Amino acid sequence: MSDPIIRLENVGVAFNAQLRVGSPRFWALEDVSLSLAPGDRLGVVGRNGSGKSTLLRTIAGIITPDRGRLTRAPVSCQLLSLALGFVPHLSGRDNAVLSGLMLGLRRREIMQRLPAILEFSELGDFFDQPISSYSTGMTMRLGFSVAMQVEPDVLLIDEVLSVGDTEFQQKSGDALRERIHGGTTVVFVSHGDAQIRQVCDRALWIEHGRSMMQGPVDAVLAAYHAAASPASAPLAGP
Amino acid sequence: MRLHLVELILFSTYAELRAERARSYLGLLWWIVEPAMNMSVYYLVFAVIFRIGGPDYIPFLLIGLTLWQWFKSCISHGGYSIWQQLPLIRQVKLPLQVFPSVQILADTVKFLCILAILLVVLWSTGYPPTAAYVALLPVLLVELIFVAACTYVVAAVVPLVPDLRFIIEQVLQVVMFLSGIVFSLDGLPPALRRWFELNPIVELVDAGRGILMRGEWPDWFALGRVALISLALYAFGSLLITRLTPRYVKLPT
Repeated sequence: MSDPIIRLENVGVAFNAQLRVGSPRFWALEDVSLSLAPGDRLGVVGRNGSGKSTLLRTIAGIITPDRGRLTRAPVSCQLLSLALGFVPHLSGRDNAVLSGLMLGLRRREIMQRLPAILEFSELGDFFDQPISSYSTGMTMRLGFSVAMQVEPDVLLIDEVLSVGDTEFQQKSGDALRERIHGGTTVVFVSHGDAQIRQVCDRALWIEHGRSMMQGPVDAVLAAYHAAASPASAPLAGP
Repeated sequence: MRLHLVELILFSTYAELRAERARSYLGLLWWIVEPAMNMSVYYLVFAVIFRIGGPDYIPFLLIGLTLWQWFKSCISHGGYSIWQQLPLIRQVKLPLQVFPSVQILADTVKFLCILAILLVVLWSTGYPPTAAYVALLPVLLVELIFVAACTYVVAAVVPLVPDLRFIIEQVLQVVMFLSGIVFSLDGLPPALRRWFELNPIVELVDAGRGILMRGEWPDWFALGRVALISLALYAFGSLLITRLTPRYVKLPT
């Protein structure tokens, strides 16, 4: 196994609860450890409020830990977020450029990819209309098409695997799965067991900001569900 | 700075100006109409009603207000820029100096349009261009650095203490009167005036008026001092933003 590119050791992250002098801090992450090697596909499970999104943003480097140690090889991380920095009064084309720049692409790279974005998003003539005239689905299609132009070393996904209507869901899901299985390192947060099984080769279960278990997907999911509903635990199959 | 950030700042500025145009019926016309209305109000109150100033009062007031408005609009737009972009900042890792810089650039573009009109007004009312116009470039450059420095500092602090929004406008109003924008500071006793001149805006506006009204070269020593103060403050503001960035993302939503 190759050296980890990202390693978290007993990492904790605290937030201010309120904007007040002397407001107490709460620990969204208490004590999480994990290591990611190139090509890993790690699924993260846990209940609402267990700190999954905070964990993703910590791995992305957006949040700095308040305790513990985070080491990172010089790799690029992208938190898959749709419609990043979109401005309503601008055209789809301008928003694609703006969003691409925010995601770290050079302007010339985005310009080269505009035809691909236009084609993938299926926006047609709407591409040059202000996105304030778009439906939610159209905005999502544009957002997804732009986000897919970035090729990060580590892709961080929070729930979103596909967007839009049924047809586009199939298409966007396929594109993302292709990316995931194309060797990109992935951290995938999800409530859906089926998706985690489909996408990931390893899983991490966190509870109240602590990493509870890390290992093969089936074993982690089984332990997680056993803990979530203790009464049915003896009956639960693998 | 990485080239991609320069591209991001430039394109965001274009996007900002473009979106602003789309947000109103008159669009770009407001760049001119709003400051013109603002100047008319000051003219009406101070020149017509209170009968301040002498024959040179109109250019004195127009130049002062033009330079002041640039400073003020940068602070009031750029100063809130990081705070307004908190949702975005939680999604993507970027040097946050980008956000105030975009607003500063956008307001500078608008300022240049107003400056062009001001020059035409001055020329047509008996204040023709002179050789000293060359000095306008360094004076405006120093003002840009000073404006950017103040905007960075405000932008760095507002997310942590959003309450400041309620007092910034008032503080700006007081600073405007203390900077000799509408009243000349010449009436002050020299000992007191020296203290007022510690305010960089006083130096910059004085230099601007000297060039545009009387064809005078600026006091290079004073300008150099303001430039140094501005550069130091700019570095401080930028460092402050970098240092505080980890705290912004942890603020309650």
